[in-house]
Amino acid sequence: MTDASTTAPVPAAADAAPAGSSASLRVEGLVRRYSRDSVVGPISFEVNEGEFFSLLGPSGCGKSTTLRSIAGFERPDEGTITLAGNRIDQKPPFKRDVGLVFQNHALFSHLTVAQNIAFGLTLRKVPKAQIEQRVEGMLTLVGLSGYGARMPSQISGGQQQRVALARSLILEPPLLLLDEPLSSLDLKLRVQMREELRGLQRGLRKTTIFVTHDQTEALVLSDRIAVLSEGRIEQIGTPKEIYNSPSSCFVADFIGSSNLLQAEVVAESGGRVELLTSGGLRLVADAPQRPKLRNVTALIRPERIVLLTAESAARLPASSSSFAAHVVNVSYQGEDTHVRVAAGNSESLLIALKSGSAGSEVIDGENVHARIDAQHIRILER
Amino acid sequence: MKRFSPMLKAVIVLTFAAILAPIVVVIGVSFNPTSSFSVNFGGMSLRWYQAFFAGDTFAKALFRISLPIALASAICATLIGALAAIAIVRFRFAGKELLETAFMLPLFIPSILLGAALYLFFSRFNAGGTYASLIIGHTLLGIPYVIRVVSAGLFGIGTTVEEAAMSLGCNRVTAFRKVVLPLLRSSLLSGAIFAFMVSFSDINLALFVSGPNTTTMPLQIFSEIVWQGDPTVAAASTIQIVLVSSLVLLVQKAFRVRLAF
Amino acid sequence: MPASMRSTSASSSAEAESPRTVPGKPWMWLAAPYFLLLLAFLAIPLANLGLISLYTRSASAIWSTDLTLQNYRQVFDGYYFYLILRTLRIGAVTTVCCVVLGYPLAYFLARCSQRALSIGLFLLVMPLMVSTVIRAFGWMVILGKKGVINTMSQALGFGPVINIMYTETAVVIGLIQIVLPLMVMPLMAALEKVPLYLEEASANLGARPLETFRKVLLPLSLPGLFSGILLCFTVSVSVVVTPALLGGRNARMIGNEIYDQVIASLNWPMASSLSMVLIALTFVIVAGGQRVGKRFRREPLR
Repeated sequence: MTDASTTAPVPAAADAAPAGSSASLRVEGLVRRYSRDSVVGPISFEVNEGEFFSLLGPSGCGKSTTLRSIAGFERPDEGTITLAGNRIDQKPPFKRDVGLVFQNHALFSHLTVAQNIAFGLTLRKVPKAQIEQRVEGMLTLVGLSGYGARMPSQISGGQQQRVALARSLILEPPLLLLDEPLSSLDLKLRVQMREELRGLQRGLRKTTIFVTHDQTEALVLSDRIAVLSEGRIEQIGTPKEIYNSPSSCFVADFIGSSNLLQAEVVAESGGRVELLTSGGLRLVADAPQRPKLRNVTALIRPERIVLLTAESAARLPASSSSFAAHVVNVSYQGEDTHVRVAAGNSESLLIALKSGSAGSEVIDGENVHARIDAQHIRILER
Repeated sequence: MKRFSPMLKAVIVLTFAAILAPIVVVIGVSFNPTSSFSVNFGGMSLRWYQAFFAGDTFAKALFRISLPIALASAICATLIGALAAIAIVRFRFAGKELLETAFMLPLFIPSILLGAALYLFFSRFNAGGTYASLIIGHTLLGIPYVIRVVSAGLFGIGTTVEEAAMSLGCNRVTAFRKVVLPLLRSSLLSGAIFAFMVSFSDINLALFVSGPNTTTMPLQIFSEIVWQGDPTVAAASTIQIVLVSSLVLLVQKAFRVRLAF
Repeated sequence: MPASMRSTSASSSAEAESPRTVPGKPWMWLAAPYFLLLLAFLAIPLANLGLISLYTRSASAIWSTDLTLQNYRQVFDGYYFYLILRTLRIGAVTTVCCVVLGYPLAYFLARCSQRALSIGLFLLVMPLMVSTVIRAFGWMVILGKKGVINTMSQALGFGPVINIMYTETAVVIGLIQIVLPLMVMPLMAALEKVPLYLEEASANLGARPLETFRKVLLPLSLPGLFSGILLCFTVSVSVVVTPALLGGRNARMIGNEIYDQVIASLNWPMASSLSMVLIALTFVIVAGGQRVGKRFRREPLR
């Protein structure tokens, strides 16, 4: 049941939104020890006012633990959490002014949509007339006007998630936490909700922390991303930084698809190094910093490898590597075509081309030439 | 896991203590060397247990009456109850809900009413006070428990295995016999144990339906208390407590049946 | 067999399966034995009971078979009436106490670890399976003039503290201990169905623990509460041994009266009418409870 047609799109205008406060968050040295082998942390990061910050990583990486610690449902063994300059890590969850939207919306099935949204306000003894007014405003904001009298069981999954959002936002918390709120929705709905979420957050300028394992979501929504793995932060950066300049093999592998080649540094001069991969390929790469080790990993994004015709193979600048390759498999994916080639002695590379472009018409077994610019090969030492 | 506040934990401990207090106290009294009804922290003695086995009232009540009747009731309840459970879970027919409610009635009818009704009924035929009358009454009490446990078990097993067996060539009855029944074993045994305990501990029904020759152990305990006997009655009680505890543990651990109501 | 004792995992997998049922006649053969048993030894005896309640006691024989409603008239005035009132009162007080004591226990069992759960369930169910006479006996020893509580307080130098044997209070105390598990079990099953994240959502929105209980847990566990109240009350009003041992002459309940009338006074017509009143009472409570329960049926959203 999609709700694309049944509800109004979310207005993105900032003045339509009820003004709320927005604060900065600082997490320092957060550690949670589950057992001798299972430790999350130390985790430290800062989120600026109004920023959309994602915690991204595979299951078990500690992102949920971190989020729940901020909300107060996990007691960290070490570390501090500071919101707008005040420490909140010692406070019980009902005293923290932090909004949390759960993965399974957690709506109260015995209350109507309006009552759910009003829940926090009734606890704070806000006068009834005011509650009604604010609930109406919220319903409009999330595109659910007129749904106030319905029960949670009578609305769709996407609508339930919006109610959960409204329920938290109406309390105007300085910080909003979202725990994989879209993962229970189907693909089309997820994409639509993503856009609405972004519009909403931008309009409210609310500091938001978003937990997800879906790297596309993180890249699309965030101002900055923290990539986590096995309880530690691997890298924090903007989506572009994370994608183009991953600091480790894990990040490179987790975000987007990648070719990761083991290689040895055989020569270096003037910001450029020459690599010999374990599969026998000679590559030239830009290296703004001298690699400290001899054995490194070369990261090449599949869309950065260019397939050449025979003529262009001849005229090549020195700032790129070119080599012969043999097409092993062509896989048509609609918008893209993925071509797997064998090169060097034993190297296997994935090339991503736009379907219909030059080079995407190759067939299995063909011999081709490939080129990679030096700036598109990134050297990773971890 | 949830962390419970200290106050909640204190309340829980106190509540459990209150639930267990009388039982613990009775066990304590049974070891009292003197014949006063108190817990003696000074010394322990087994004399009341010796009195239990030496005398002929309690021992008879336990071995000749309570145990055999409980066993017979359990067997009857399990047989009849299992059949009824199969009928309810596996079949679809008009009036099923009504039948289900009717089948659960003995749970909701207080056992004194059942006892009084049976007593008055049997005395029309001068048939009261026999082993049979007690067994009939206890079987009725026990069947709802059997139905509950076996129904849950049947439901959990599902029809898929039966259908798989039938697709391999056997008819419905054989499929049931060869495939479902073995899987149902723990439910049947647990149901039987429940029915056994219900019969063994019953007093309200036995108050009416028993006769001079069929004094069950709880009845014996009751009359000894009323007529101010000695702590042998505590020893008898402790024996029942130990027996029942072992059976409950058996059902919990070995059969992992969830004791839900 | 499900390895976990939590009913949620078992019930949700069973719901997912929902085995197919078969139409057809064989169910009759299977259900017949129990049906016949019920008919012969429950329905007919109860009808017989009703019949006898219309007789009167006669001097020469056990009863005279003239049908009359005289017994019922007697039931509703004087001694018997107060007896019924006292029985209802004891039942109500016991049930209310069980609700108050039962909720914390049920909540704990619904949220605790697997290990704590098996221990807790054992401690809860085992007393249930032990004969009521033994449990009442234990309370006699605890609450008596020379009982555990008094000897302990005397040892501490306070003198005998309580003298509540053979009072209504003693009966209520004994009954609470007997009936409490019947409240806790359905309540626990209902609370288990309320996912922990609902409590967390409530806390996150600013509710203190008691507020979360009042606004979220209580409404969502109402079906279990009603089952518990039903069970507790029906059992409490029909006990015999507990009021006999703990209440003596001061706290006789309807069960005692029925027993005396049947066995001692041999006034079977009177006993039968009292029994019919008890049956009617039980029926009204159960039927009423079912109806109210249906109105409040609100399963937590999955």
